[in-house]
Amino acid sequence: MRHVRSSIVTVAIVSAAVSAVISVSVTRTAGQASRPARTADGKPNFSGIWQAANEANWDLQAHDARPGAVMQAGVYPYEYARVPAAPVLALGAAGGVPGSVGVVQGDGQIPYTPDAAKIKQENGEHWIDRDPELKCYLPGIPRAMYMPYPFEIVQSTNKIQMAYEFTSTARTIHLDKVDPPPDDTYMGHSVARWDGDTLVVDVSHFNGKNWFDRAGNFHSDALHLVERFTPITPDAINYEVTIEDPKTFTRPWKIAMPLYRRLEPNAQLLEYRCIEFVEEFMYGNLRKQQLVQRWEGDTIVVDITRKVPQGDKLHDWYRR
Amino acid sequence: MSRRLLALIGAAVVMVIMALVALPRLRPGPAADGKGPAPGTAWGEPDLQGIWTADGEIPLQRPAKYADREFFTDEERAELDKQRAEAIGREADESRRTRGSEQDVGGAYNAAIFTTHKRMGRRTSMVVDPPNGRIPPLTPEAQKKRAAMREYQLALLQSTDLCKNKLPGCEGGTYGPPSPKRNEAPPYYVTVGAAGGGGAGGGAINRANNPEDRGLGERCMAAVLPDFGGNTGFYLQVVQSPGRVAIFYDTGQGQGWQRVIPVTDAPHLPSNVRQWWGDSRGRWDGKTLVVDVTNFSPKSYFQGAQENLHLVERWTRLDANTIEYAVTIEDPTTWTGPWTVKQAFSRQSDEANRIYKEPRCHEGNYGMPALLAGARAQDRAFAEKRGPDPAKECTAGCGGFALGFADTGEDANPLSR
Repeated sequence: MRHVRSSIVTVAIVSAAVSAVISVSVTRTAGQASRPARTADGKPNFSGIWQAANEANWDLQAHDARPGAVMQAGVYPYEYARVPAAPVLALGAAGGVPGSVGVVQGDGQIPYTPDAAKIKQENGEHWIDRDPELKCYLPGIPRAMYMPYPFEIVQSTNKIQMAYEFTSTARTIHLDKVDPPPDDTYMGHSVARWDGDTLVVDVSHFNGKNWFDRAGNFHSDALHLVERFTPITPDAINYEVTIEDPKTFTRPWKIAMPLYRRLEPNAQLLEYRCIEFVEEFMYGNLRKQQLVQRWEGDTIVVDITRKVPQGDKLHDWYRR
Repeated sequence: MSRRLLALIGAAVVMVIMALVALPRLRPGPAADGKGPAPGTAWGEPDLQGIWTADGEIPLQRPAKYADREFFTDEERAELDKQRAEAIGREADESRRTRGSEQDVGGAYNAAIFTTHKRMGRRTSMVVDPPNGRIPPLTPEAQKKRAAMREYQLALLQSTDLCKNKLPGCEGGTYGPPSPKRNEAPPYYVTVGAAGGGGAGGGAINRANNPEDRGLGERCMAAVLPDFGGNTGFYLQVVQSPGRVAIFYDTGQGQGWQRVIPVTDAPHLPSNVRQWWGDSRGRWDGKTLVVDVTNFSPKSYFQGAQENLHLVERWTRLDANTIEYAVTIEDPTTWTGPWTVKQAFSRQSDEANRIYKEPRCHEGNYGMPALLAGARAQDRAFAEKRGPDPAKECTAGCGGFALGFADTGEDANPLSR
């Protein structure tokens, strides 16, 4: 038995890590096969439930797999030899981060201004304290498009509604004339037009409070996106975003990825009402009787008790 | 000073609500120009799309004085509008409160900010069945749960001035030393903050030991199904595709949510999968979208019903400008019979787009940590003999804001006088 110091974020990381493991069935059914490739007005038919199947929510850029979503110095002084830190240590292999070839186009670099690059670096180092995803805040665009949760497109003629499972939020894409929003937004103001078979969405009026990923990539309220949705097959969309934010980046840059249709015959959006899930994470230190073991000032210390090794027969045999 | 500040805050809130109510009127949409027939979608289904709201103020249940009447006369509506405008514009009556007392603080809002500024509708109740316009009585089982919750509420109030002075909020309770129940979990999951309706979860508790002690509204999770708009009103945006009806509920002052109704004959989710807003299955019955909703979470709450709530909604586009919404509500463990509510929704301008799709109550919920931190500071002050026993203080369920409103007579909503 061994006590491991951890922090209050463990629960959020468990749920995030578990959700990151997504499964997309490839079984087609008669129901899906009959879905028309085009809508009644002749546009590509994007209606349905979709999900990205990549690691972009961990980090838009190419990265190695690593043993922990939160890391600390190991026995070597090298960055590449760091080991999992307390918040995820008890999760073993479920607490790591999958590698990725990245979704940033061109040279794979994000063109931060020097000041913004420093902030990005700090964001990454303080991920569990700063990432709005962990607090269940409205995820913003484009992040909502590639989080490890399904979303649904309800495509009508003048409006396209995108419903996101994460915190039951949404955006409306306006194909018709619409007034600008009265205030800046987390989810952006989306107006669109068709360019042949490509849906081109212009997104603006951001409040600058969102991140792109768990690596600390961020933007300001000057963010302006041009999204392009182009059908690859009836069940896959090429999703490409041009990202512009002169307060944060020295030039526009692009990300691109496929979005995949969820083909399970009974696929439907469920609730992920995480406001409730994060109450302990956000307010646990203010309970009259702490559910965690103790806290030092406003830092919460969670003691995790686990058996090492975990009831594995072979290990038990060697331990006799 | 605090009174003045509260008045300012109150005025600001009123202005926001008035603005919300007034905005759609400033920019009537094309649909407001004249009535046309109910349209259909390009793919041949009935078209429920657009931004909608309930215009007229109609009480959920019929007030006793209109017992045998389904509709107000035009004169009654004009008189009620006049009385309401007066109540909204009047300063709260100071004579009934001692300034700075718990009742003053607890009732610092007068009824005005939670009295809708909409004009009276024609119906005397949203409940159309039973014909008396009233929600059927609670079952003995639900009454028992409600009584257990009330007993717990009173135990937490029993050593406060509220019970010492036999004020209305302590009705049914007696004054005594702090109850050991203060250290126990509530008998049922706490849901609504105010006095509460029937059943288990209703009612504020005089404690802030945990976020879960507070009502769902304070936790930014107030949105429920069915939703009739409440005092602050709501906007709905409907977008359809073949086989799907998406409805965004802009409700509860930033506590909105997105609903997607599959139009399918597929069965409901497995019964172990429970959701705050249940599981919806739609089908078209002629012009009407009929939606069956089950699988509610035991943490959800609607007028006393929880996981056994079953809704059958009927959404019908009557003409270009009007949707009729009817919902039959049943739960044999909560009510002795089913009941039906009807509302009319009117079309708002798509271009003006006066719907708030940013449910960011949670993002700005500084109230929750502040409230909990305040309670912990009180605990510490008491432990160090610097402050009063928190068990003797009333902070929730005390009357006023937390238990109906202190305002009566001419200050009250005329429908509840």
